[in-house]
Amino acid sequence: MSVISLRLKDRELKRLAELSKLTQKDKSMVARELMEYGWEFMMIRTYKEGKLSLSTLASRLDMSVSETIDLLSEFNIQSPIEYADYLKGFEGFK
Amino acid sequence: MEIVFDSSTLILLAKIELIRLVTEDYQVLIPDRVMQECVSKDIFDAQLISQLITEGAIKVLKADNKAVISKLCRDFKIHTGEAEALYLAMKRKTLLAVDDLPTIKACKIFNQRFTTAVHFLITIAQQGKLDKESAFVKLEKLAVYGRYSRRIIDDAYARLKGGS
Repeated sequence: MSVISLRLKDRELKRLAELSKLTQKDKSMVARELMEYGWEFMMIRTYKEGKLSLSTLASRLDMSVSETIDLLSEFNIQSPIEYADYLKGFEGFK
Repeated sequence: MEIVFDSSTLILLAKIELIRLVTEDYQVLIPDRVMQECVSKDIFDAQLISQLITEGAIKVLKADNKAVISKLCRDFKIHTGEAEALYLAMKRKTLLAVDDLPTIKACKIFNQRFTTAVHFLITIAQQGKLDKESAFVKLEKLAVYGRYSRRIIDDAYARLKGGS
């Protein structure tokens, strides 16, 4: 693991300390976990906005496509496919 | 009728256990990369897809034009599997089954016909190859995994019921 130094606001330091106490983990570990959660959240949000494809999301989360579908389902993230696209999908069978 | 599948739709149909029925009615084609995406883990849907490939019910094809596929990835911010599926569907002038918005947007730009997992459920049920009760159960599962909007699920429910 690499070591970096970064400036944190008092509020962020306070949150790290609070979470460290709550989970009984050291602050470094808590910070790393928060980065993981933050990354996951940002990627899912980008997907939800329709700016990231499902397979790209899976790749960014280091998951298979199936696991990513399960994760989106667990978080109840609505598919960005619109009703108009759905109606157009019927034309393919004609 | 042959249809090229992206991993999104293929996995959804495997999760709701409709994929075998789909392969009985349609020639299911997938590019190499989609196969890799679908069978990478030892889980139920991966095992089912893997079995169908072994049986020859799903045919795996090579998407050979790397330059075009890379360009599709760059231009539409899609992954290699999605780009390979789109490329193959365009090349073969056939329908693309995809449950992914950026790929659907690319389809619209190229005037490429597309469809999604819920359309297979509706079409197969309307053909009488699936009883209504089973179709409703599968729609419930698809609502969970496919995460379609309420409006789409309500419309699909009405169609299964025989509304339109």
